[in-house]
Amino acid sequence: MSLLRGLLGMELIGTSVRLFLDFQEKLASLDMRNLRFALKQEGHSRRDMFETLTRYAFPLAHSLPIFAFLNEEKFNVDGWTVYNPVEEYRRQGLPNHHWRITFINKCYELCDTYPALLVVPYRASDDDLRRVATFRSRNRIPVLSWIHPENKTVIVRCSQPLVGMSGKRNKDDEKYLDVIRETNRQISKLTIYDARPNVNAVANKATGGGYESDDAYHNAELFFLDIHNIHVMRESLKKVKDIVYPNVEESHWLSSLESTHWLEHIKLVLTGAIQVADKVSSGKSSVLVHCSDGWDRTAQLTSLAMLMLDSFYRSIEGFEILVQKEWISFGHKFASRIGHGDKNHADADRSPIFLQFIDCVWQMSKQFPTAFEFNERFLITILDHLYSCRFGTFLYNCESAREKQKVTERTVSLWSLINSNKDKFKNPFYTKEINRVLYPVASMRHLELWVNYYIRWNPRIKQQQPNPVEQRYVELLALRDEYIQRLEELQLASSAKLSDPSTSPSGPSQMMPHVHTHF
Amino acid sequence: MEFSELIRTGRAQAKLLRGPEAPPLRGTLCVTGHHLLLSPGPQATSDLWLLLLRRVDSIEKRVSGDSGTITLRCKDLRVLQLDIEGVEATLDIARSIEALSSLESVITSFPFFYRPKGLRLGDAWHFHPPERYYKRVARETNAWRLSEVNEDFSLCPSYPRAVIVPRAVDDDALARCARFRQGGRFPVLSYHHAPSGTVLLRSSQPLTGPQKRRCAEDEELLRAALAGARPGAWGFILDTRSAQAAKQARVTGGGTEAKAAYPGWKRLHRPLERGWPLQESFVRLVEACGDLEQSMDRWLSQLEACHWLAHVKEALSTACLAAQGVGREGACVLVHGAEGTDSTLLVTSLAQLILDPSSRTMAGFQELVEREWIQAGHPFQLRCAHSAFSHARPKHEAPTFLLFLDCVWQLGRQFPLSLEFGEGLLLALFEHAYASPFGTFLCSSEKERCLCEVRTRTHSLWSGLNQPKEQRKLRNPLYVPNPLAIWPSVELQTLRLWQGLFLRWIRPPEPSEVAWEKVWQIMTDKKTEGCEPTVSASEPRL
Repeated sequence: MSLLRGLLGMELIGTSVRLFLDFQEKLASLDMRNLRFALKQEGHSRRDMFETLTRYAFPLAHSLPIFAFLNEEKFNVDGWTVYNPVEEYRRQGLPNHHWRITFINKCYELCDTYPALLVVPYRASDDDLRRVATFRSRNRIPVLSWIHPENKTVIVRCSQPLVGMSGKRNKDDEKYLDVIRETNRQISKLTIYDARPNVNAVANKATGGGYESDDAYHNAELFFLDIHNIHVMRESLKKVKDIVYPNVEESHWLSSLESTHWLEHIKLVLTGAIQVADKVSSGKSSVLVHCSDGWDRTAQLTSLAMLMLDSFYRSIEGFEILVQKEWISFGHKFASRIGHGDKNHADADRSPIFLQFIDCVWQMSKQFPTAFEFNERFLITILDHLYSCRFGTFLYNCESAREKQKVTERTVSLWSLINSNKDKFKNPFYTKEINRVLYPVASMRHLELWVNYYIRWNPRIKQQQPNPVEQRYVELLALRDEYIQRLEELQLASSAKLSDPSTSPSGPSQMMPHVHTHF
Repeated sequence: MEFSELIRTGRAQAKLLRGPEAPPLRGTLCVTGHHLLLSPGPQATSDLWLLLLRRVDSIEKRVSGDSGTITLRCKDLRVLQLDIEGVEATLDIARSIEALSSLESVITSFPFFYRPKGLRLGDAWHFHPPERYYKRVARETNAWRLSEVNEDFSLCPSYPRAVIVPRAVDDDALARCARFRQGGRFPVLSYHHAPSGTVLLRSSQPLTGPQKRRCAEDEELLRAALAGARPGAWGFILDTRSAQAAKQARVTGGGTEAKAAYPGWKRLHRPLERGWPLQESFVRLVEACGDLEQSMDRWLSQLEACHWLAHVKEALSTACLAAQGVGREGACVLVHGAEGTDSTLLVTSLAQLILDPSSRTMAGFQELVEREWIQAGHPFQLRCAHSAFSHARPKHEAPTFLLFLDCVWQLGRQFPLSLEFGEGLLLALFEHAYASPFGTFLCSSEKERCLCEVRTRTHSLWSGLNQPKEQRKLRNPLYVPNPLAIWPSVELQTLRLWQGLFLRWIRPPEPSEVAWEKVWQIMTDKKTEGCEPTVSASEPRL
């Protein structure tokens, strides 16, 4: 039995297992860690051990359940309640005169990879939406991701139009984009950011896709952002892995790092997101973002731009909502990209798109040390559980599949773990700022390899002491709580002393926010 | 000599561009003996802008039509552009700056005229002499003494008046040792590691020459150093040249210690780059950092091609080796290269920073720089005559001190709580080492400083830095005393380009400054509130 529990733990790690005949078994795992088991020759048979490992490491291939469905952990916070789309859109001031919430996709009939609840222009009827859906790859129509609270320009996301070789047009789609543009009367042109390199967009015409042409869309301007596809990203990360594992590249570290192009890809993603954020924040134009299917690069761009624009997403809960909304609910194909429990690790669908997004967030947090409520450990924890299958959060490709599997009822959310022990993930230097737009410097000079993540299993990179800053964080947080509590007590005591409490009923509550700004 | 002879023109109208972030300044440009001034005119709100002419590393002029442009590249790596009305004025100003910024005379330099408010001459000059360090050593051990054999600098022109030597060796023996070492730099104590009783020594190369000469007193001195540590102690000699280079030095009269002559001592070679190759690496790095036109996808290989980070790695790992010998293996360590004034000091000072918690405080670090660099005779006047932009043919320039500061910065990055000072102090030291209104980094040795009366006629940088208004820029708000040795990781994967220095004038400074300010605010809030509980705890609770 203890063996079995150990193996359930193994499932947290594995993607591929290879058998070595030299009494060693080796696991190559997704988070760039290799484990080797040296077994005593007598007793258990190695082959048995290996087979058991494989069974539990890749349960789907052996028709076993994923660990998250067996996990009986209990937390005092329910992470599944963190994201409520209606509340999130209400926070953004939606619906309003120009945008409405629609339940047209309630049963995932319009688009099976979109969430049930969508925000669309007020002037577009449900029939319009259905007609637009026929012209967009996998029916992923343009819907609102974020609206600027003041200038009311918006970020809209979708998939590529089905233009094809013949250069097909669709009046409804053209009209729909114009309706989006007109939700803000100040703008004369809608900006379309196609995340792909120009050539790739053209090549997509061969398979029925394409991009919005100038002829068909008079009131739109299209820019390509030159971000490469999932295959390029996968190969790039593989090269990063090759230079840090099993041995760290010594003699030509920087040039071999350069030859992986990983930081260059990070730069392009960040640059794209900055352009989106700048267009919207300057009020010059609303922005429509798409790539091919609108679930990889599009999710990176919209979520990073939202992180730059909206300080709410820089808090712990805000970031959870951002991930839940732009990635999980809008159908980033986590199951295909990560391959949870699947043994076919060479599958062409695998790609570290979400990891790349988290890397970009880390780069931003490096450049703005006071802007984020969360710390590095928060980001690493998210990535660890992206692969672990301990929580249901990142399982399956889209909301409809998750609903079918009753993921929220049968598994625990990652946010339960994090929110029940938030202090561990807090950045004590966080300063809450409203309305500050962050523009990171996306120059190669200012980007670094995330050593604490990619090379963390290498003992030579580790410092001898546990991270001193982190320890200090904890001390600082404890102190802060102590003082807040003390202050509350003092304020209660002083307000109790006042002869007529009705003259200053809001005394303590007025003072509290003031106290908070100190930290 | 009168400065007025060098000033070709009094004034001109000009526009000053200070990089991408700062707004341009307009006003009247004026050259004085030591400064370039830009006075924005009576109606403007901004203050006078001032540049110390010594700070100019290279100057470039261009004229077109009836105006001209002067580009000033400064020793602190800043690039300034002046647009000046009038061709004649441009050329005159350029010539004046050229002449005044390259004056070699020490006693007419600005520190001899600088009289800031609130500072008294001679105040901090006795702040960090070796005598002070000796007092500490004497508390810890009895095996060493302070010798004033070099009182008149006759034994060794680059040593201070007083040095710490084994008690068992008398002054006459020292005089003979001095003749056996290049430049008279006989082995002296650099650091006494109290927990293990072992010591770190430094010297220059022995003058063994092709005949393999020996010197009984020198051998005796090193034997006494071992005996002072503990009976049966052993040591190693860390030569900062390759074995090959050390051997070759014999041809020119130098060399290295013969194994047979120094029982108990082993020899190790750790070649460190010095001189022109190091300067070239610095120049190439600054070039790469300033080259904004060039496509960025080659940045990392360009950075690698400069080898600067490789030099940082080598310096840190050699210092770790020395520190490991003293701190962990209970060995005495003697460090020397050829002259013993460059990479030797780099290694001994870094090793102390790794081992000794007191050198990581604000005062302790200043003392370390004073004792191990300035008093120890690092030739600042020669090494820092020009920085990375100069077109002049380099003679003795080398950024050894900058390399030291970079290594300290790497330590601070890896141990964010263990240094009492922050990046601000390191940046200030870099700036002042190359051009300063203070006298601290003037001249190349104590002897020269005495001749020029630097101590009585200029202000010390330490008194300038230790003014209360400077503290917030220089101190590390997160500092917590750390009694342990701090062993850095020296792998290239953990070393970083020091952006705060090399990209200082290129990157937008705002977010990092905001963050620094925020950290200060949090820490001061914490401290002031930290007093509260103790007060209220003494009061009876209601």
